[in-house]
Amino acid sequence: MTRMIDIYSILPVMIVAGWALLLLVVDLWIPRHRKGITALLAAIGLAIALGFVLASSGNTILGFNQMVVLDGFSSFMQVLFLVSGMVAVALAYDYIQRMNINHGEFYVLMMFSIAGMMLMSQAYNLLMVFLALELLSIPLYVLTGFARTRLESEEASLKYFLLGAFASGFVLYGTALIFSATGQLDFVGIAAVVTAGSANSVLFLIGAALLLVGFGFKIAAVPFQMWTPDVYQGAPTPVTAFMSVAVKAAGFAALMRVFLVLFPSLSEHLTPILWVMAALTMIVGNIVALAQNNIKRMLAYSAIAHAGYILMAFVAFGNGEVVGNTVAATLFYLVAYGLTSFGAWALVIVIEREYGKGILLDDLAGIGKHYPWLGVAMLVFMLSFAGVPLTMGFWGKFYLFRTAVQAGYIGLAIIGLLTSVASAYYYLRVVVYMFMKPGEPKLQINPWVSLVIGVAALAVLLLSLIPWTILELASRAVLLLQ
Amino acid sequence: MLMEFLPLLIILLLAVFIGVFVVVLGSTFGPKRPGQRKNSPYESGMVPYGPAKRRISVRYYLIAVLFILFDIEVVFLVPWAVVVRQIGVPGLVFMIIFVLILEVAHLYAWKKGALEWD
Amino acid sequence: MEFGINPLVLMTFFPLVGVLVLVFLAPQQKNAMRWTALGTSLVTFAISLWVLFLFDPNKADNLLVQIPWFRLAGVPIQILMGVDGLSILMVLLTTFLTPIAILSTWKAVEEQVKGFMIFFLLLEVGMLGVFLALDLVLFYIFWEFTLIPMYFLIGVWGGKNRIYAAVKFFLFTMAGSVLMLLAILYLGLQAGSFSQPELVANRSLFAGSQLLLFLAFAIAFAIKVPVFPLHTWLPDAHVEAPTAGSVILAGVLLKMGAYGFLRFNLPLFPQASVQAAPVMAVLAIIGILYGGAVAFAQKDIKKLVAYSSVAHLGFVMLGIFALNPEGLSGGILQMVNHGISTGALFLLVGMIYERRHTREMSEYGGLWKAMPIFGGISLVVVLSSMGLPGLNGFVGEFTILLGAFGSKVLGSPWFAGIATLGVILAAAYLLKMFEKTFLGPITKEENKSLKDLNLREIITMVPLLVLIFWLGIYPQPFFNLINPAVEQLVQLVQSAALVLH
Repeated sequence: MTRMIDIYSILPVMIVAGWALLLLVVDLWIPRHRKGITALLAAIGLAIALGFVLASSGNTILGFNQMVVLDGFSSFMQVLFLVSGMVAVALAYDYIQRMNINHGEFYVLMMFSIAGMMLMSQAYNLLMVFLALELLSIPLYVLTGFARTRLESEEASLKYFLLGAFASGFVLYGTALIFSATGQLDFVGIAAVVTAGSANSVLFLIGAALLLVGFGFKIAAVPFQMWTPDVYQGAPTPVTAFMSVAVKAAGFAALMRVFLVLFPSLSEHLTPILWVMAALTMIVGNIVALAQNNIKRMLAYSAIAHAGYILMAFVAFGNGEVVGNTVAATLFYLVAYGLTSFGAWALVIVIEREYGKGILLDDLAGIGKHYPWLGVAMLVFMLSFAGVPLTMGFWGKFYLFRTAVQAGYIGLAIIGLLTSVASAYYYLRVVVYMFMKPGEPKLQINPWVSLVIGVAALAVLLLSLIPWTILELASRAVLLLQ
Repeated sequence: MLMEFLPLLIILLLAVFIGVFVVVLGSTFGPKRPGQRKNSPYESGMVPYGPAKRRISVRYYLIAVLFILFDIEVVFLVPWAVVVRQIGVPGLVFMIIFVLILEVAHLYAWKKGALEWD
Repeated sequence: MEFGINPLVLMTFFPLVGVLVLVFLAPQQKNAMRWTALGTSLVTFAISLWVLFLFDPNKADNLLVQIPWFRLAGVPIQILMGVDGLSILMVLLTTFLTPIAILSTWKAVEEQVKGFMIFFLLLEVGMLGVFLALDLVLFYIFWEFTLIPMYFLIGVWGGKNRIYAAVKFFLFTMAGSVLMLLAILYLGLQAGSFSQPELVANRSLFAGSQLLLFLAFAIAFAIKVPVFPLHTWLPDAHVEAPTAGSVILAGVLLKMGAYGFLRFNLPLFPQASVQAAPVMAVLAIIGILYGGAVAFAQKDIKKLVAYSSVAHLGFVMLGIFALNPEGLSGGILQMVNHGISTGALFLLVGMIYERRHTREMSEYGGLWKAMPIFGGISLVVVLSSMGLPGLNGFVGEFTILLGAFGSKVLGSPWFAGIATLGVILAAAYLLKMFEKTFLGPITKEENKSLKDLNLREIITMVPLLVLIFWLGIYPQPFFNLINPAVEQLVQLVQSAALVLH
């Protein structure tokens, strides 16, 4: 029987989904040149949901017969998703007009995807995980191809769809194997069977590995990263920004929730795999990014690399002493990375003249001279990506590396640190082009995008002086373990 | 447990056997007199024109998609109707929500002109 | 002490006031910008003199600032700053050279003056922070932070290959410091604190892995010093940097590396330091000889000065790793000397470059006749850099060689003996340069009409000359400042050496 508390536990998700449905209808009567209203309504819906998330945070509830959970972790993640959504709306408003793709469905699809992510952070049953995964992915396939008739966008959408469907298949198969190994789908049940020792360990391990593959696709970890550069490049830039922050965060939310609750007993087998994945992700992401001239592609590889850093701290997921730090460090890093990433992508939006045009490194030349504030903001983002002090990126990496060292993975930490030196090279190239090469940049500056850039830059700088604010939130966002 | 499914398996094998058997029978013992008419796609005498792989108007696909969407969603009404007395008012409320969501889609398709032929 | 009153905090962050003013100046108010920057740096210098006035060489925790910042996973990270005998001269050197360097840019920098001055003042904040920070994380933050302004100074206002040089500078330093970051994290985890005094007190907690930790710190610092064979970024950076950048780079940034050895490597890992001392000394001597030999082969004056830095810093490293009071205090004094002499040399090179836009020695000759004041000043500076008795260079090098000669840790007088060859090499390449540029007849037509130094340029040089003579004739006050701290450090290291033997 449905209780009020069940409804309460997923109220924000329901608000976002319901609002999106209403918006879909309302948008039908909004004329094409007034789509700003849709954007505004979408932002309001997200803000309302944000209010409910904040109001219900601090509780720990298992709802709908343990299908979903509300805990500090899910609240933190949901705030991240909702804020990302609002930022993406701000970035998209002007962009989709300029690119002549201003349909109201853009915002509606984004809200559906956010609803999926929010559900993902709350899922406490493998079927719910799958449901959330699909709910978050399918709107994104459409969003990626939103600039249809443009080949890049269509190609990206198709690629993303095929590989995403493939990944979903892995998740589903993994779920099935875990079900056959334990006879359970909900986390409480599976954990109980595993603790009792009555699970079929081979099937269970294979299932876990398949889930890892599926989530690996979503967070773009090597060797499941091959879709990332093409999709990030082809998708409309605000969608890319949204993907690089929110989807990655959602992937990590699922990965952490599932692995920390279900698979600590498998850490002996999974840790070496994760170790290699983390190392490869950091190496491949950073090294390939060195060779990129297209900023979107470069940032795509950089996004891959950053997933590697988080994975590095995640390798120790089976170590009970470190897990608390792993979760807190990951959440902290996701915030730091999200701020930086949105800022950097906003700058790409500013320089993108036509769809996919004007986003080579050469197009940055002269920005430092003609738009000094914009240049300084981008400098801040690049330094934050590279992990240079006095940015949030530094504290993020600091905490991640600390966690890795604490868990004893010093070799991995060295790989991470050396690759981040390599990454400094390509981040600095952006700075070189902006400040040290002459040029006449043509920018498309819009107040909303400027606002995002300004706020992100200030946040990256100022929060680095008071990092404990986010840090405390992150360490209080405890994940409900069994 | 699997023994319960044995009759099903037998029926399945039987069906496959009969199907294959009839075809093989016909092609082995049937008279073969090939000719121009016999080899044409339609033995009825219609002269085929145009390529075999004709493009179908994209509107058909739209109709097909809409049909699949609404048809399959509506199928959910059937199991609900079977147990509607047991689940009572809450069941009714949930089904209303479900139908409302369906109606959003319907409204959307309608307003976007997906239901018009031109 | 109250947050706003502590002179160390005030001094470190005062340049930010200038930055704030600069931000709001219009792009065409170039002179206002220059005066703002100069004024700010002079006030900072004045504050540093106040710090010197309050400074007591016998105390280890002068003017200590301790403000809890935040805790990361239980380990506190603090704003912990203090000044002692090891850092006081470095601080003064920084605040002293910054206004001089700014003064030297008056005519040299015309493009984007605002950015230049902002970066310069930010650089000063970073450098002062490095010398004052006693919390490892805070130190690392300042350490990395100095990279960014310097990167821009080289990359935007530098010479032809500036981008290559700037990126190389950045990547080299960063590559070194990430390993240091790892070591810092490890220390924090092992000892539960990032504060240098606490770590020194609890160094038994990580004694087991101190050789590796020593190495991690040493690579970061050795790249900065630079110790052979990690020096390759230095000539590029020096040659491409604008004059003021070179002055600060040679004068202060290189000292950050040597200072790091003194502040962290020796007290935190004394046994490892004793074990590594011969290796470091050998590298230092290779640096001395290699730097000198390569300097001798240069045709470009600025490159010559750059390689001479490698040699001079070799002396500093030799002094530090003699691990006795003479060696260490000589090393510290030589850091100051090198900052002054080499800073002055770069200024002189900059002045002549502004007039002729070339640094090839063959383009000059007989300058003495055209520019007597310039020639006279240059002679003093060259002799000081060479180590002529009575000028500053001699005092430092002599004390270092004395230390190396009597060093128990190095255990052989050969180190000092071979290093002495470096002094002769220095005389050879510096005198060759002086002879080729200043002596003989004027061979090139363009050089005949060169204007001698103007008042601003003389004002730039005079403070440096005063110090060259002061340090050369009466260095005792400077030794008094550093000796107590050095002796403490030596005691600490030697007690560790006893454990070892």
